[in-house]
Amino acid sequence: MVNADISLTIGVLALQGAFSEHLQLLKKAALALPSNITFRFLEIRTADALATCDALIIPGGESTTMSLVAERSNLLEPLREFVKVYRKPVWGTCAGMILLAEEANRTKKGGQELIGGLDVRVRRNHFGSQTESFSTPLSLPFLEDSAPFYGFFIRAPIVEQVLPPTTLESSLENNTTETITAPSKNPINAVAASFTSPDEVKILGRLPPSKLTTTQEDSNLGVNPAEGRIVAVEQGNCFGTSFHPELGSDIRIHKWWLEKVLEKVEMKRRLETES
Amino acid sequence: MATELPVETHATLNGANGTGSIAKDATSFANKDALARGVIMDVTTEEQARIAEEAGASAVMALERIPADIRIEGGVSRMSDPGMIKRIKAAVTIPVMAKARIGHFVECQILDAIGIDFIDESEVLTPADNVHHVTKHGFKAPFVCGCRNLGEALRRISEGAAMIRTKGEAGTGDVVEAVKHMRTLNSEIKKAQNMSDEELYVMAKEIGAPYDLLKKTAQLGRLPVVNFAAGGVATPADAALMMQLGCDGVFVGSGIFRSGDPAKRAKAIVQAVTHFNNPQVLAEVSEGLGEAMVGISVAKLPESEKLQGRGW
Repeated sequence: MVNADISLTIGVLALQGAFSEHLQLLKKAALALPSNITFRFLEIRTADALATCDALIIPGGESTTMSLVAERSNLLEPLREFVKVYRKPVWGTCAGMILLAEEANRTKKGGQELIGGLDVRVRRNHFGSQTESFSTPLSLPFLEDSAPFYGFFIRAPIVEQVLPPTTLESSLENNTTETITAPSKNPINAVAASFTSPDEVKILGRLPPSKLTTTQEDSNLGVNPAEGRIVAVEQGNCFGTSFHPELGSDIRIHKWWLEKVLEKVEMKRRLETES
Repeated sequence: MATELPVETHATLNGANGTGSIAKDATSFANKDALARGVIMDVTTEEQARIAEEAGASAVMALERIPADIRIEGGVSRMSDPGMIKRIKAAVTIPVMAKARIGHFVECQILDAIGIDFIDESEVLTPADNVHHVTKHGFKAPFVCGCRNLGEALRRISEGAAMIRTKGEAGTGDVVEAVKHMRTLNSEIKKAQNMSDEELYVMAKEIGAPYDLLKKTAQLGRLPVVNFAAGGVATPADAALMMQLGCDGVFVGSGIFRSGDPAKRAKAIVQAVTHFNNPQVLAEVSEGLGEAMVGISVAKLPESEKLQGRGW
């Protein structure tokens, strides 16, 4: 599949949180990939640095802190453009997934800014406080082998609901006191647009039902507890996990994601030369 | 820039501490995720907690009196009213920490019972035990403890602390002691890195630290848990200074709500911790912050009034 030498720049948003752990796992995962791919891994704190990236990871941390610092560092709009206008590959873990969601619940008073990209509604701190954190084996069918992946859930969010596709109109309607939404944007060109998939949120992982905490809000939504809550989703260029793969030493998800990035970047570069 | 804390540390560290269960692992390094490269602010009211959250604090420390007032008012300083801590917890979505007196394991049990996110076994409160610290392994909440040097840090980690901070000299607004403690840690770690196993055994004995943790620290070139700056940080420049010395994040106590414009200063310090290596940004956020806390020079402070000597 990979013919010529190719170089990729992967950024990790380094405003706050567990960015150094992601960088370490990325470097390890890169060693497991073909040597004709040259990777450059960067800590991203400015819009200029972001512009050089082919793909981005938004790490775990405090999503309120990250979005406030992003806003004050003039990074919020460039991030939205990266995700929604240029449609470059982005992976959010925990707080990062909250920022990639189109809607979020249980935010601080006055809400918080979201980037959006995944048509899901997440519920922040689903499992409660720090002391309710846990790690659990997850079965993730998209990984090449079936060995369980240990997911670390720390004040973790959960995907509460897969939403109908966002449009410019609908994104403005849903801002209520309980739920906040991300602003909608149009892809820059046909190539970027081909990386959206408006009607397709793929559910890539669920929490075993034994780890389920059912709440009043669940029954109001008609959630079926036996299915297990959604903890990994993919839609177009966006990938989100409510757990922290970067806090263990298992490189499988990082490797899988880098392969996806490579695939998308190659396709994009090909389409751009053709058009 | 701080040396990276390798991802493999968790398993080994927890193994060394003998806390085997996987569920426990998650809490013991929970702090790495949510707090790393963040600012933790002292707050005494729900309004202050909201200001801190709006400013981008990655956690707040709920307490009845900030260290600067404890210093002025004196008397015995104890754990805060659990009701007040609960109200602050309800007001924000970020983690809430609270302080317990050194050695006062019942205050820790109470804080654990109300579901506090972190416990700070702190020298800022009046110690309840002149010999022992709390054994921190049995609690659901992770602990943070202060240190002035490597021996003290490793003793606390051995007792179960999941996070270390410099002691500095709380409530003074004078960063000199925090710098001293961070410099001391760094130089002791450098020394340990160049030692043979035989020499490390001797160093472990001399600094009163468990050999295994000292060996681990020497291998990593840093403490095996996150290490924050605390005690005297008052300006964005102070915060960036501590980050450049290798801290993983910053506690700001009296520095914010004792200054002219707390909201603006809090925001500026958050920006400074993210962009600690970017003097351009540091210059921008340092502008027009209004009056800083007046502060007390540590050099003028009599030995008996220093808080950092508390802890064993």
